[in-house]
Amino acid sequence: MTTQKKAISLSVNGISYEASIEPRMTLADLLRGELVLTGTHVGCEHGVCGACTVLLDGRAVRACLMLAVQADGASLTTVEGLETDGELHPIQQAFIEEHGLQCGFCTPGFLLTVHELLENSPDPSDDEVRDALGGQICRCTGYQAILRSVRLAATRLRDAQAAASSQGS
Amino acid sequence: MSVEIPKTLEDFPNSSPRFVGRGVDRVEDPHLVTGRTEFIDNVVLPGMLHAAILRSPVAHARITGIDVSEAEKLPGVFAIVTGEDAKRWSFPPPTAPEEWGTHCMATDKVRYVGEPVAAVAAVDRYVAEDAIELIAVDYEPLEVVADPAKAMEPGSPLVIEEKGTNVMLQRVFNWGEVDEAFRDADRVFTEKFRWNRLGANPLETFGVIAQWDPVAGSLTLRASVQSATHFGLGRAAVFGLPSNKVRVIGHPHGGSFGGKGGTRGTDVTALLTRKAGGRPVKWIEDRAEYLTGGGSQSWDRHYEVSLAVKDDGRVTGLDVKLLDDMGATGECFGAINTVKPLAAFTGPYTIPVARYDLTIVATNKLPQSPYRGMGPPPHFCALEQMMDIAARDLEIDPAEMRRKNFIPKDAFPYTIASGNEYDSGDYEAVLDGALELSDYPELRERQARARAEGRCVGIGVVSAIEPGVFDWNAYAIVGVQGIGVPEGATVSIDILGKISIRVGFALEGQGQYTLATQLVADYFNVGFEDITVVPLDTFSAPPAFGPGGSRLGVALTGAVLGACEKLRAKLVRVAAGLFQMDPEQVDLVDGNLVAKGVPGVEMSMPQVVGTMLARSDLLPPDIDPRPEATYVWTAAGRTEADEEGRAKSYLTAAQAVHVVMVEVDPETGLVEILEYCVVDDCGTRLNPATVEGQTEGSIAQGIGAALLEEYVYDDQGQILTSSYMDYLLPTINEVPATKKGIVVTPSPFTPLGAKGCGEGAMHTTPAAILSAINDALVPLGARATEVPASPNRLWNLIRGAKERTAGE
Ligand code: FES
Ligand code: FES
Repeated sequence: MTTQKKAISLSVNGISYEASIEPRMTLADLLRGELVLTGTHVGCEHGVCGACTVLLDGRAVRACLMLAVQADGASLTTVEGLETDGELHPIQQAFIEEHGLQCGFCTPGFLLTVHELLENSPDPSDDEVRDALGGQICRCTGYQAILRSVRLAATRLRDAQAAASSQGS
Repeated sequence: MSVEIPKTLEDFPNSSPRFVGRGVDRVEDPHLVTGRTEFIDNVVLPGMLHAAILRSPVAHARITGIDVSEAEKLPGVFAIVTGEDAKRWSFPPPTAPEEWGTHCMATDKVRYVGEPVAAVAAVDRYVAEDAIELIAVDYEPLEVVADPAKAMEPGSPLVIEEKGTNVMLQRVFNWGEVDEAFRDADRVFTEKFRWNRLGANPLETFGVIAQWDPVAGSLTLRASVQSATHFGLGRAAVFGLPSNKVRVIGHPHGGSFGGKGGTRGTDVTALLTRKAGGRPVKWIEDRAEYLTGGGSQSWDRHYEVSLAVKDDGRVTGLDVKLLDDMGATGECFGAINTVKPLAAFTGPYTIPVARYDLTIVATNKLPQSPYRGMGPPPHFCALEQMMDIAARDLEIDPAEMRRKNFIPKDAFPYTIASGNEYDSGDYEAVLDGALELSDYPELRERQARARAEGRCVGIGVVSAIEPGVFDWNAYAIVGVQGIGVPEGATVSIDILGKISIRVGFALEGQGQYTLATQLVADYFNVGFEDITVVPLDTFSAPPAFGPGGSRLGVALTGAVLGACEKLRAKLVRVAAGLFQMDPEQVDLVDGNLVAKGVPGVEMSMPQVVGTMLARSDLLPPDIDPRPEATYVWTAAGRTEADEEGRAKSYLTAAQAVHVVMVEVDPETGLVEILEYCVVDDCGTRLNPATVEGQTEGSIAQGIGAALLEEYVYDDQGQILTSSYMDYLLPTINEVPATKKGIVVTPSPFTPLGAKGCGEGAMHTTPAAILSAINDALVPLGARATEVPASPNRLWNLIRGAKERTAGE
């Protein structure tokens, strides 16, 4: 049943990897098992919970539903890629301050989904946030603190943006 | 040595505490938000194999043959186990009720869909899954019993033949003169309720790495377990090992809510590592396994409830008949869910007498597990509907109906009919708070306007109790032994004054490491950065149970503060020796050891600790030179259950009132929550932010219970909800924003006055939503008595009511 392995190369969090893998291996298993990026979590393995969400060329995808070979040549961001030199990303910081997590198992998936949302829509309405997060399941928080976290993160990111552009001008 | 645990923050040796009682950031979070927390599936051991489990596709069948020969030939397969190995190396597990267990893999027949039949350990999970597909099992179908009422009939197929019956337990408890109360009542109301199976569904499934040491004859288990100690003792019993030969290393869990389960899977994995000569074997339950064969399912209940009521609205008697479908065995201790209601049987009310007619039955379904709340939530859901039914008939406002029957605030500590004692409360203040916060009169006006427009809008006003700090004695009637649940902590200071807190439980979501840090930081007047919380395995941790039964916040506070007090006493004695004074003349003040009334005579904590470590020759001869102390906390005053099951069991009683407004769409049966308001009293809030998180999370789970979540079985015991496409969890779109208020009546029985609060709104939310739905349905003449009140159920109910009125 094992089939011929296939060589792929991809970049994850700015680091280039090459791997020789079975075509049936999921992207989640590649990230977690082969590349030891275990921050990407697997909650359902059938595409419903969103825990395994990563960014593939900037778009949120479910790593449990994709085959690793489909990511050949792609550039990925996982939760491990959010911080810079040990500095938390403002979204991570906002989740801490607003208690947007309890067990934290869903959190990497939420962080990356929020990251995509705020890239595209820096000042989202609550409805937009609900829309974007409608496919992410959190069993612990009841989502209210997550909403508060997203609002705080959006504000912080906008402020940082404004500060940067006023400095630049 | 008797230890005085601080009763309030004022008793701390710190003039300006900064952390306890504040919503501080959690120490757990930086690891979690960066993906660094070591969940069990992240762990890789040298030589580790991966397990896959072959499970029964049918609910009841005799196994007439298992052929593993093809699987054995597959390259990469190291070990295969079946029921034969289970018989050879293990025993059925401890259960509740006792002796309702079977081996971890089917030995002669399968008893439910999802029961393990064989398992493989291989180089990776892919190969292991390939291998189980090569195993051929011959099943000879047996008649299935998937209905608890049928399971009780004579001639029903038996789930466990040796028992001679499917009835696991049948008992009637009478607390007071119940018949008399019903005879003397002005009105008696009776209704039936159905609560369908649902369950915990933590986002992380269960996982374990088992390693057998063939030389020592010992087993090491790394697992995402809630109570490592309890888990280890159970495994020792299963494998016939001395308890000091089973070591459990707890790993952080991605949620648990009581329903993490995993004992069967662990036992299967342990057989695999033994068969593989001691190679470590990892088993990560997948979601389908969790949903069909894991710790996923709880509370499968058929109720008939009667209320004896006086014309003035006083409730004088409660009679609850419960038939609970426990599934195939008692291995997951699901039966304790049926007896925990004794801890709060009559809710927040003064109902003086009560009866509980309890039947627990085995069927060909997955054995029930615990779930957040452990059984009272369905009980309260039924009780609160009865309160509404009575109020409606008496034309009393539902809020006033509750008020009339509340235990008055000066009656605490108050012993309820079923024997438990409530510590404290001010239920009217909570009710008033909720009515004010929700602007109840205005809600009623809005409802009247909506009704005038022909819309189905309803309001639920509901109150319930959250029993906190569980004790084993609460479960005596289903065969659980013992009283007292220890929780220990060690507080240790190093030579530079840095502090470690050693505990016996793994990280969960409730922020307990933060709580321990808050307590120690304030006690010794240090910062969060000076403290580390260290979880230890069962061989090295102080005695501990860990989270469960709304207990750990209170128990851990007791343990940590007890250890702090003991350590303070030690430091004071050492300092007194160095000052050449009596210990009574020395004190710990803001983190320094000072001579009372002698300005300038003082030492910093690190100085004293340094002396203890480096100059034990200077210490009083009887003093242990380690600058650390361990304290094991248990709840005081717990009593043995009497012949009617009555005991002082749960130590605290938190209380809440929820006011909910919903709209039911009569065309679709869909329910929309328009307003959600909660006021609760769980005593002192040690970290208000995490308490709020527990409330919000448990409201969401309550919404799931009331409207969405249900495990569906067909009459052949086939489960129809084996993915999250079918078993519906609440998403961000189903959970509304809530208005929240608090009342604080500190518990007189706990350190700092905190009450158990982790299970929270799960006790109240399902009842509140169902009440609101029923209020909405009044004009239609319909009454919902089944949860989840799913769109199809409500739609059918409404259609039936319409047909009835049209027929009149
Ligand atoms: S694990 Fe991928 S969506 Fe659940
Ligand atoms: S924090 Fe536990 S699932 Fe979201």
